[in-house]
Amino acid sequence: MFLAWNEMKSAKLRFLLIIGVLTLMTYLVFLLSGLANGLAEMNREAVDQWKADAIVLTDESDMNLSQSSMTLHDAQRISAEHKAEIAQILAVARKSGTKIKESVAVTGIHKDQFLMPKVSEGRSFRGDHEVIADDSLKADGLKLGDRLTISSSEQKLVIVGFTKKAKFNAAPVLYTTIATVQKIKYGKADTSDIGLINGVVIRDPHFTKIKVPSRLKLTTIEPFIEHMPGYTPQKISLDFMIYFLFVIVSVTIGIFLYVLTIQKVSIFGVMKAQGISSLFLIRSVIAQTFLLALFGVCAGFILTAVTGAFLPSAVPIQLDIPALIGYGAIFIFVAALGSLFSVQTIVKIDPVQAIGG
Amino acid sequence: MSILNIQNASKTYGSGHTQVIALKTTQFSAEKGELIAVIGPSGSGKSTFLTIAGGLQNPTKGSVLINGQEVTKLGERKRSMIRLKEVGFILQASNLVPYLSVDNQFRLLDKVKKGNLNQQEKAQLLKQLGIENLTKKYPADLSGGEKQRVAIAKALYTNPSLILADEPTASLDSNRAFEVIKMLAQETKEKNKATIMVTHDNRLTKYCDKVYTIVDGGLSLVSDNLQIRP
Repeated sequence: MFLAWNEMKSAKLRFLLIIGVLTLMTYLVFLLSGLANGLAEMNREAVDQWKADAIVLTDESDMNLSQSSMTLHDAQRISAEHKAEIAQILAVARKSGTKIKESVAVTGIHKDQFLMPKVSEGRSFRGDHEVIADDSLKADGLKLGDRLTISSSEQKLVIVGFTKKAKFNAAPVLYTTIATVQKIKYGKADTSDIGLINGVVIRDPHFTKIKVPSRLKLTTIEPFIEHMPGYTPQKISLDFMIYFLFVIVSVTIGIFLYVLTIQKVSIFGVMKAQGISSLFLIRSVIAQTFLLALFGVCAGFILTAVTGAFLPSAVPIQLDIPALIGYGAIFIFVAALGSLFSVQTIVKIDPVQAIGG
Repeated sequence: MSILNIQNASKTYGSGHTQVIALKTTQFSAEKGELIAVIGPSGSGKSTFLTIAGGLQNPTKGSVLINGQEVTKLGERKRSMIRLKEVGFILQASNLVPYLSVDNQFRLLDKVKKGNLNQQEKAQLLKQLGIENLTKKYPADLSGGEKQRVAIAKALYTNPSLILADEPTASLDSNRAFEVIKMLAQETKEKNKATIMVTHDNRLTKYCDKVYTIVDGGLSLVSDNLQIRP
């Protein structure tokens, strides 16, 4: 640490430039992780709000909620205590009399079951055609009392309340009655045994014991989210970029330190002649990498925080502090790995060359 | 017990008719309190002799004992520890770590070894060498002579029993050179060290107890200090 720190103090510009490169790389990693996080959130925040453990869908639907269709009779035969029926149709809602259009997930629920969201503004729906909307729609110019026309349907909806964090597969959710969804889908409501809904959400940690009728399939929530269209490819792409950046960081700092080490071969030789061990020199190179990476990560963190504070809400970046700290730690670790390139060089330095001739 | 004892040591590079003999079979010993000069032109094997004496490399044949420890039988790690504890090197050039201030050069030695000079002894050493005001400076800000004196202070700082000096007066003016040699002689006598310096400066030999010449890898003792055979 002593050698590392004093060298950095005496060659400030050189080391500031290296720290600068590391800062930009951390910044990129942090923003990408924020983006991955934000995009994932857009897909799953409504489902996360349900605090559910499992969902029952038809086997045919391949875990896709809007493709699943079951009768209310089947739904009632599911042997779970905490269950909530759900009906959903993906549609485009238009604010009546304007050109404001938005893809939405009209989601039918029972008011007295646990899917009922917390109303942050306005009131809950009292009957059909009334909806509680995701409050991200406010940014698109929608407000309480607005009437909505639903594409390919005669039905009209009215916003009576807003709730927070209700996006399903990136579409804002409109919570309403099951009958309203049935009307949009089939033209009329049918709450008898043969009426259709999309699925049943289960809140029960011991869901494995639950029996479901044939043709229906119980799925835990996480795979259900991962099967949302686009969710997994998106996540894999961003995660891959982040992992690859770690490799780049390791190689980059490895090269930097290797070049610095090569420049110091003769002075390391002199130190070795004086009896300073290779281990001491290796430790000092690793300590130097650690310091460089630590400064880089801290600066990158500050830069990310500042960016996060100024980003418009339309950018789906969600900075998750514990995750960033985790990435920062990995970053420092892979940087230290990079410094191992230099170990071999240091070990091989022959102290005899310190005495020329 | 001799501080340094070299027995039947020789060093050759290569083999067959490309073989180069850097050091012919050599007997050599340095006792406590001896200041020894080894004089020879460049390419004569001075440096090879010095590196073998200091345990930096092993001779091809023969053995080297420093304070009774046979360094030729030790691995690099143990030899490195012996160098740290027993040997003080004063090297010609780039002896100092360029990114450490003079004061930190000494602190580095404190980091790797215990039992160095205490503050008072160090202050006295720096004063003797006339570098007490340079402690905040970096090697790049020092003149050649100042660097050399810092290097000497650094070698003495660890309190070694064997001091090996490679042209210690090369970049010093005559007055300063004599002072430095007198100081090395005094240090050697007072603290019972053995000092071997490799030089081509004949004037310095009057302070030495023994003078050797080295020609084409052959080391021979010059019994009389003041008459050096060509």
